[in-house]
Amino acid sequence: MAATLCRILLPKQGWLPFTQCVRHGSKSVTRHKRPLHFLKQKLMSVTRYIPPPRPAPPGAYPRQTIRDQEDDPFTILVKKNLKNVFQESKMIAVVQNSGSTADEMMLLKYKLHKHGITVKFFPNQVVRSFLKDSTYSNMAPLFIGHTVLFISKEPKVKEMLSSLRTSRHMLLLGACIDNTLLSAQGVVSYSKLPSVAVVQGELVSGLTLLTSQTAAMLQRHPAQLSALLQQHVKQQSSEGAPKAQEAT
Amino acid sequence: MFSIIKAAVGGLTALCRVNGHQQGLLHGHLKVLAAGLNTRDIPPDHSDVVLPDRRKLKFVNKMPNFKNAKKEMKNLKDIQGPATAANAFTKGEFAIVAMGGGYLHWGHIEMIRLTINRKMDPKTTFARWRVNGPYKPVTRKGLGMRMGGGKGAIDQYVTPVRYGRFIVEVGGKVELGEIQRIMTEVAQKLPFKAKVFSRASLAAFQKKHADMEQNNQNPWTFKEITLGNMLGIRKVLSPKDLCHNGRFAGKFHLPWRV
Repeated sequence: MAATLCRILLPKQGWLPFTQCVRHGSKSVTRHKRPLHFLKQKLMSVTRYIPPPRPAPPGAYPRQTIRDQEDDPFTILVKKNLKNVFQESKMIAVVQNSGSTADEMMLLKYKLHKHGITVKFFPNQVVRSFLKDSTYSNMAPLFIGHTVLFISKEPKVKEMLSSLRTSRHMLLLGACIDNTLLSAQGVVSYSKLPSVAVVQGELVSGLTLLTSQTAAMLQRHPAQLSALLQQHVKQQSSEGAPKAQEAT
Repeated sequence: MFSIIKAAVGGLTALCRVNGHQQGLLHGHLKVLAAGLNTRDIPPDHSDVVLPDRRKLKFVNKMPNFKNAKKEMKNLKDIQGPATAANAFTKGEFAIVAMGGGYLHWGHIEMIRLTINRKMDPKTTFARWRVNGPYKPVTRKGLGMRMGGGKGAIDQYVTPVRYGRFIVEVGGKVELGEIQRIMTEVAQKLPFKAKVFSRASLAAFQKKHADMEQNNQNPWTFKEITLGNMLGIRKVLSPKDLCHNGRFAGKFHLPWRV
């Protein structure tokens, strides 16, 4: 193929470059795709179509307005149940369940039912959103992971702890007993406390100690009483004499 | 007495419960059939379509009636570039559109005519030619002839077809689904790339290209660079590149170019 440089004189109407390199290869319309000049290849790649950036698919990012969502009817129902539970029960214990089987669960429920403790399951998200609006907001950190609620009207802590000790997968996280939030150790120490009647008895006996002692003394034999009183006078006088000496 | 009645009622309820439980066990694997509303699409109304008298494709001559046939130059630019004639719908609904340039000779035309005439239903469809019969003479030298000795004799006549030209238009009381199979069969046998379009799909195709031009993120366009002859690029381009803006290469159309 001979390369010929043709100088073509053109009228000034429509202009073409004065020197055109004309290679006698194939014609412009061919059955095959003609190999492009390197510069034309560059031009085609520089002026290629760049599509607009695609938006993220619909489920890619989490929705920002999670807090402002209204509750669905099921959540409202669960919250009603929770409200009743918190109103009626005195003891609400939060226990972590790490993979207990159905049989173990059944046995545990049976044991606890004998003492009047019910086992309840609630979704954590719903519980947290309920607690946020109620007075028990400090209980919210307890409801993380697989949790179970032990509810009872009477705070039967000893029986609950004994049944939890035997079960392998249940771990006590905390409890709300008589509107006081207790940790696991707090619950243990609460269980070790004496009962109300015993404490009341101790208080009464402490208050009436002096009067009971004097009553006991007066009820003794009069000879013993007189001896006691004489001894008491002697002690007082002996105390008074050294005190006067110290003073002077 | 009351105790007896209570016992009887209790027994009956227990029986029913047991039976129901057993039934549940037996039929638990079957689907629950719910009553639903059967909605069907309304078929399109073709009552306003007027079918012409001659519905099949006419016979096309192999060559025009010339007394003195003149030999012509190759003139390959009748294949180059987009079509300006017969590139829109007239009476029909569906058409075979050329997606590249090429020559149709009598064999192709006969194939189209015979296939469509055989397979279409003349009661409901009609077909129209959108290309002329062969008119451009193509010369050929005999086999094994050496170069020289003048131009060869006229071998056949062809019809040049550009990108975007309609070949055959089909219409009538039909849907695309009925006619598409026949037309794609024909389109695949043509010497250039061809596609079957309906009015809506062609409009969508053109709109897509227009959108591509609109939302192109590349700040550099072929048109801008060639018009301004930036870097003297017109040295390696042809004058046709100014018109076609890099979308055509010879007879081929480049669909990825904008």
